[in-house]
Amino acid sequence: MNVEKKRKIEGIIALSLSGLAAAGGLFWLVYILADVLIHGIGALRLSLFINDPAPAGSDGGGLRNAFVGQLLITLVATLIGVPIGVLGGTFLAEYARGKKIARLISILSDIMVSVPSIVVGAFVYAILVRPLHHFSGWAGALALAIIMIPVVLRTTEDMLSLVPWTVREAAFALGAPYYKVIIQVVYRGAATGILTGVLLSLARVAGETAPLLFTSFNNNFFSSNMNGPIASLTVTIFQYAMGPYKTWHAQAWAASLVITLFVLALTILGRLALKWRYKR
Amino acid sequence: MTQAIDLEVKNLNFYYSGEIHALKNISLPISRHQVTALIGPSGCGKTTLLRCFNRMHDLYPKHRYEGEIIFDERNILSSDIDLINLRSRIGMVFQKPTPFPMTIAENIAYGLRLKGVKNKSELAGRIERALKHAALWDEVRDKLHASAYELSGGQQQRLVIARALAVEPEVLLFDEPTSALDPISTAKIEELLVNLKNDVTIIIVTHNMQQAARVSDMTGFLYMGELIEFGATEKIFTNPDNKQTDDYITGRFG
Repeated sequence: MNVEKKRKIEGIIALSLSGLAAAGGLFWLVYILADVLIHGIGALRLSLFINDPAPAGSDGGGLRNAFVGQLLITLVATLIGVPIGVLGGTFLAEYARGKKIARLISILSDIMVSVPSIVVGAFVYAILVRPLHHFSGWAGALALAIIMIPVVLRTTEDMLSLVPWTVREAAFALGAPYYKVIIQVVYRGAATGILTGVLLSLARVAGETAPLLFTSFNNNFFSSNMNGPIASLTVTIFQYAMGPYKTWHAQAWAASLVITLFVLALTILGRLALKWRYKR
Repeated sequence: MTQAIDLEVKNLNFYYSGEIHALKNISLPISRHQVTALIGPSGCGKTTLLRCFNRMHDLYPKHRYEGEIIFDERNILSSDIDLINLRSRIGMVFQKPTPFPMTIAENIAYGLRLKGVKNKSELAGRIERALKHAALWDEVRDKLHASAYELSGGQQQRLVIARALAVEPEVLLFDEPTSALDPISTAKIEELLVNLKNDVTIIIVTHNMQQAARVSDMTGFLYMGELIEFGATEKIFTNPDNKQTDDYITGRFG
């Protein structure tokens, strides 16, 4: 067999193997999404969004409490996580640029991004839930915020670093102080990228269950009191899917579908924003 | 012909990273409302010298100036100089066009707002004046609110010049302003430079010796951090005193 033929065969083998691997991955992904869609769409009805849970096992009822709780927790998490993440990223990319401390914090955030979220939940449990002796929406929001921070921080840092240094010099050369250079010039150049990071971090925490189990816990009744246990979609899905009732299972599927669509929408929005940014 | 002196460099030494001696004992006068060109091979210190005039080096750690640059009777290298004020009096245009990520009008307004101009009609008037001054007005008058990134490289460079002119500086520093541009854009900018000297003092760093010969009145030749020769452009390019200068301008090295 000559060398060329051997290379061709090697090429075909490599192509088929990688093709198979991709197909294998895609299959499960599509399977899961299709499963959620098929089961969820049947159970999706308006009452899901406007009614609170009915007594266990009986028909009717909805998950209004969980939708409201989820929104509250996510909103507060965003309000805590995004400013800290953006300002931290700004520190790394601007004030500490090129310094060892910036490198160190970057690496630590990369580690933080991949820390299992249940660890974050346990951490917040230890510092907030235990000392106060009760679960709370605040604790849940804090746990989600801690997960968001490294994501937002790293994207912000990367996006700010993409703004050419000469643009900053040009702003300095006009007599601008550094904070104005950052806020008025650098942020504008990186705005879409930072927004993408925020959206992706939101998508990341929207589907988290583990950190909420130890913190905001769950609540079968409607509550918007962030000082007490509060329902969330993910924990509700967990509870309902494990429960013995058919109606619970149907609602869990529907809630899964809603969350999946929400995350999908955020991700697409983030990607679109990024694309739009680089088209210019 | 006697010329008023705008900036006087006296025994300037500059060190990078605490020890690299980039400029060695440089003294030269910069005449008011003239174009002074700084030429020399890569790494000779001409850009380093240019960036001393607006203290750009201060953005980076471990730099050190020794000596003086006198501007308006003060040494601008002294530590009590207000850099924000200094940089609004001595503007700078860079090698690559540096439009800000905003509209054409906002780019010009940026420097004006920094100086505290808030009145809308005054802003609009000064934007128009600056763009006319930089010979860009006719090309952009209909798209002032379009992104500055939509302009061509040459137009962007004139936009940046307009932005620098808008704050009415007394001196403008140009760091190889045409090295990233095509010949036609280059010709436009050179023409602009010659016209601008009625209003501002210009110092230009260039790699292009024909450019230095075309636009400048005075030329300084730097080599290895030293000012080898300084004099009227015509003399430097036709009959330099120094052999190294002669070798450089005739293309024997560099």
